Amino acid sequence: MDKAKKSAPEPAFEEALAGLEEIASKLESGELGLDDSIKLFEKGIQLAAFCHKKLEEAERKIEILQKGGSDVVARQVAVKSGTGEIEDDEDIQGSLI
Amino acid sequence: METEVKPQFITVTELNRLVREEIENSPYLTNIWVKGEIFNLTYHSSGHIYFTLKDDAAAVSAVFFRNYNKNMKFRLEEGMSVLVLGGLTVFEKRGSYQLNAISVRPEGAGELQKRIEQLKKKLADEGIFDPAHKRPLPFLPKRLGVVTSPTGAALHDIIKVALRRFPNIEIVVAPAKVQGDDAPGSIARAIKELGRPQWKVDVIIAGRGGGSFEDLMPFNEEAVVRAYYNSAVPIISAVGHQIDHPLCDDAADAFAPTPSAAAELAVPVRSDLEDEIKYLVNRMNMALSSGMKRLGDRLAGTASRKVFRDPYEIINMREMLLSDAESRMAMHMKGVIASRKERLLHIPDITMLEKRILTEKRHLFSMQLQAIEKLSPVNIMARGYAVVTGAGKKIIKSVAKIKAGDKVEIQFHDGLASAEITSAAKEK
Repeated sequence: MDKAKKSAPEPAFEEALAGLEEIASKLESGELGLDDSIKLFEKGIQLAAFCHKKLEEAERKIEILQKGGSDVVARQVAVKSGTGEIEDDEDIQGSLI
Repeated sequence: METEVKPQFITVTELNRLVREEIENSPYLTNIWVKGEIFNLTYHSSGHIYFTLKDDAAAVSAVFFRNYNKNMKFRLEEGMSVLVLGGLTVFEKRGSYQLNAISVRPEGAGELQKRIEQLKKKLADEGIFDPAHKRPLPFLPKRLGVVTSPTGAALHDIIKVALRRFPNIEIVVAPAKVQGDDAPGSIARAIKELGRPQWKVDVIIAGRGGGSFEDLMPFNEEAVVRAYYNSAVPIISAVGHQIDHPLCDDAADAFAPTPSAAAELAVPVRSDLEDEIKYLVNRMNMALSSGMKRLGDRLAGTASRKVFRDPYEIINMREMLLSDAESRMAMHMKGVIASRKERLLHIPDITMLEKRILTEKRHLFSMQLQAIEKLSPVNIMARGYAVVTGAGKKIIKSVAKIKAGDKVEIQFHDGLASAEITSAAKEK
């Protein structure tokens, strides 16, 4: 019951994509007036932009967790993308957590 | 002479029959487990499997008939160490024997297998393998967690595949020992660590590349299976295997037969998603522009009607109204025109129309003026007429009013002359 009252959280990527699909189908049905069509089209463009934003969010980095004192820390490493091998890392064995 | 005593003998056929009966009925030689390695393996097209079972010092041929091997869950391989359950059969014709296999299992399986079966039952009773517990994998993971050996090929494969599919993905590796006695504890700790919120991992791949049955044993250990089950984020089991699934596969949210396959399961292909978005936007564009075209066509249909094709028709109609009003209400003309003009402002060329009307009116007026001017006496005299006046400037309209000797004045249109009448006679 309260669900509707809560401010809508950011939709998941796949929901936005499904929304886009739905809008495309609705527009294709040709049942809408010009005003509604344009409103829907604008919403679709927003969803597409949102999807693109989600795809851009990650920043390509490879981290390895290690024991750092009593805690665990992340250390960034470089990899050869062709082979997935970690580059120049003598300390790869590290201290296992 | 001694009588040669013919020894008791049996024929070869009888010998082989005896041997066959002896062997095939011996409780020691039927339903026995034989340990050895597989050589000269042939998967025959008939479905039967032929091989030689060997150890360091001896060999025996074996056959695994289709009826018995059809339910086997793995494929035999050259050099594989196995336990074969079966019995001996003898070929009387050749005097040879072979092992007739009923079941084959990988060696080393024995004791360990039993332990695994027991653990599996215990965990199943607890609900660890319950499909209802399995979570869906995230559609678009931003950060991928990996639990495996930091030096193994599995890690390279996962990173390579993940980056190929989604070039800007973030990967967090929790290194673990995947072999040996301390492997189970290490794997379980790494899975738990990666589940901590600070690492913001969306999905975990935990596993290793393929290996022998013993190599994969850590993934059958209770601590590891429970760690998969209790993972804070969705987890994919990725243990390379050819024979049986390790137990962790059934406790994970999903599993894959190799680390590369797990990476494919976890990470979407970014360009595919981009294509999908592009495709949908394109569909929207097409739909909208075809909708616009439909409306445009309707508009064109309306615009082609006469009133729009020939806008002067409206003007002409109004013009008629105007002339009518003009003639009937001369004095109010200006007011009427002004108010009509107000209403007709949107019609182009209204001023032109107005000017045309005024020009016509002016023309009419000058025509009338000319007609009036023609009636003026001055104009008439200009055509050659003159006025004759007598005494007291009285216009003499009749010849009867004058006689010879009278003085008169003649008025031309451009001047005055004096004259004396020499004769005057009335026309008969």
